[in-house]
Amino acid sequence: MTQETLNEEPAAETQPLGEARTPDPDGRIPVIETYGLTKTYETKTEDVHALRDLNLTVYQGEIFGYLGPNGSGKTTTIKLLLGLIFPTDGSMAIMDSESIGSIHVRRNIGYLPEGAYYPDFLKGEEVLRFYGKLYGLRGRALERRIDEVLEMVGMTGARRRLVGGYSKGMRQRIGLAQAMISDPQILILDEPTTGLDPIARKEIRDVLVKLRDEGKTLLISSHELLEVEMICDRVGILHNGMLQTIGALDDLLVQRDITLEVEVPSESAVHELSRFGIISEDMVDGKALLRVPANVSLYEAIEQCQHNNVSLLSVRPRRETLEELFVRVVGAAEENKEINQV
Amino acid sequence: MTDESVKKPQSTSDKLPGVVSVFTLGLGAIAVYTWREGMRKKTMIGFLVLSLLVIFGAWFLTAFLQTGGAQVDTELDTKLVKDICVTAISIFGVLITIFISASVVPGEVENRIIYTVLSKPVRRFQYLMGKFLGVQLIIIINLALMGGLFFVNLYIQEGILPTLLLWTIFLTYFEFLIVSAFTFAIGCAASSAVLPVIGGLFIYITGNLTEYLGDVARRAGQTEAFLDVAIGWLATGLYNVLPNLQNFSLRNQLLYLQPNDPPADAMIPQMVVYGLLYAAAGYVIGYIIFRRKEL
Ligand SMILES: Nc1ncnc2c1ncn2[C@@H]1O[C@H](COP(=O)(O)OP(=O)(O)OP(=O)(O)O)[C@@H](O)[C@H]1O
Ligand SMILES: [Mg+2]
Repeated sequence: MTQETLNEEPAAETQPLGEARTPDPDGRIPVIETYGLTKTYETKTEDVHALRDLNLTVYQGEIFGYLGPNGSGKTTTIKLLLGLIFPTDGSMAIMDSESIGSIHVRRNIGYLPEGAYYPDFLKGEEVLRFYGKLYGLRGRALERRIDEVLEMVGMTGARRRLVGGYSKGMRQRIGLAQAMISDPQILILDEPTTGLDPIARKEIRDVLVKLRDEGKTLLISSHELLEVEMICDRVGILHNGMLQTIGALDDLLVQRDITLEVEVPSESAVHELSRFGIISEDMVDGKALLRVPANVSLYEAIEQCQHNNVSLLSVRPRRETLEELFVRVVGAAEENKEINQV
Repeated sequence: MTDESVKKPQSTSDKLPGVVSVFTLGLGAIAVYTWREGMRKKTMIGFLVLSLLVIFGAWFLTAFLQTGGAQVDTELDTKLVKDICVTAISIFGVLITIFISASVVPGEVENRIIYTVLSKPVRRFQYLMGKFLGVQLIIIINLALMGGLFFVNLYIQEGILPTLLLWTIFLTYFEFLIVSAFTFAIGCAASSAVLPVIGGLFIYITGNLTEYLGDVARRAGQTEAFLDVAIGWLATGLYNVLPNLQNFSLRNQLLYLQPNDPPADAMIPQMVVYGLLYAAAGYVIGYIIFRRKEL
């Protein structure tokens, strides 16, 4: 309910969001859905199964992180959602509309392609003017919007320069700007922060979070797991065209390990502790961070510390990082694949 | 005044234009952008400069012959100049037509700009139409430049407004339109400009030889040998399908009639309709290919 009211205000910029959509039992409103989506590329040498039976749901007002190793099918999914390619099997719905290619659906979508390229004989602002017109924007409204998005991606200073002379990161920024030009309800961004410097990354992250807080829905494919962990609400991990896991970050990242902050007398003490499965993660000036994996009992760990003259400073639960989850999930999928092949 | 616009940024005329105007706005934007991009292609500029040089050079040549004192037949001179210029306009014009029509769609697939355009609320039909109109703009501007220089040249030489030349250029455009539409259609299927360029040249050349194809069709098939029959069928098929581009040429009239004569027994309106129909057929084929193309 609240999410729906959030929606009303900015919707005038584009089209009002589709028909009445039914929230699921948790009160979440699905915006992007795929059902058994399958894509096989028929090449001259072989059939490439890029996507197999993908069931994906992205809800309104969330940042969804779409992860997976190279070639796992992320870009393929995104192109299917935009009607640039067509599914071999299965179906999709965006805002309850199954006609993916329809311009009413696309009016509400902003898209940043992977490794995009823009007409290099145009100036930055002319590129945005061109894309704005494709959304039906014009006149003063368009000019105002161009100023806004240029400001958002920090390109106001370079707006009158030719895109042909832009650096890689500047090109990426202008790409983000064109994706946001119509203030769309849905943003689909294929690797949005590649090529950006650390400051720009931070700025773009802030912009994305702000859009989410306005009630926009964002689907982001990325290899930058730290960033994804910082801003995404839910993630899905794809491997070899199959969705391996999907869910809220808070549910997926198990909190089973424990971190001990300690003062160590010598390196050998740490070495001694490692025999019991306690992992040293970081050590500076005689202070160390020790990780106690779930299979080692905390009592035993503390006992061993005392035994080795290691004094405890703090004990706290440690959340798994997204990177660890990723490695775990993809590793398991690789193993499964090998077993199946043998 | 800014106050007003801040308060009511969503005045309907500003933000939610009607369906028709959204369509034309996008179409216009794509066409203009295609035109601007095409006009800076190096091949195109090269051909245009060459043709202008040839037309200018022909003028220079006659000026030289006339002042050289040699008692040459001036009648013959102008015929020569006209011949050179008409040929230059056809050859360079059709090369520009083919290269531009062949590369607009494959080029955009290659540099992936097409992803950003087709993911906007743009119909594929609208996209293709915009591209096609942009190409026509380029062809028309080129023809106007070449024809314009030729026109001035002739006018200075003969002292009469060469209106017949205008008709020649006008009909030449419709010939180019047909070549352009079919080249464009092949471009919709191809992944690079090579194939459509070859296809375009094929259409232009065979389209100018349809009379001969008709001859071949009539003569073949008499011996009943397989090859003979096959060639007969092929020739008949091509003769019936291919446009007859010779019909668009007023070259002989331009050479032998007075520069301000009206075009003799050329059915201009019929030729225009003929050109438009063939072009429409080519465009529709392109659209059918492009409609479900995987990008
Ligand atoms: N046009 C195509 N023809 C044939 N195979 C393709 C085509 N496009 C993609 N593929 C294949 O489909 C699979 C999935 O590719 P996709 O681009 O979706 O991966 P991705 O997850 O986006 O990878 P990355 O992280 O490297 O961007 C790969 O095996 C790729 O080789
Ligand atoms: Mg990708």
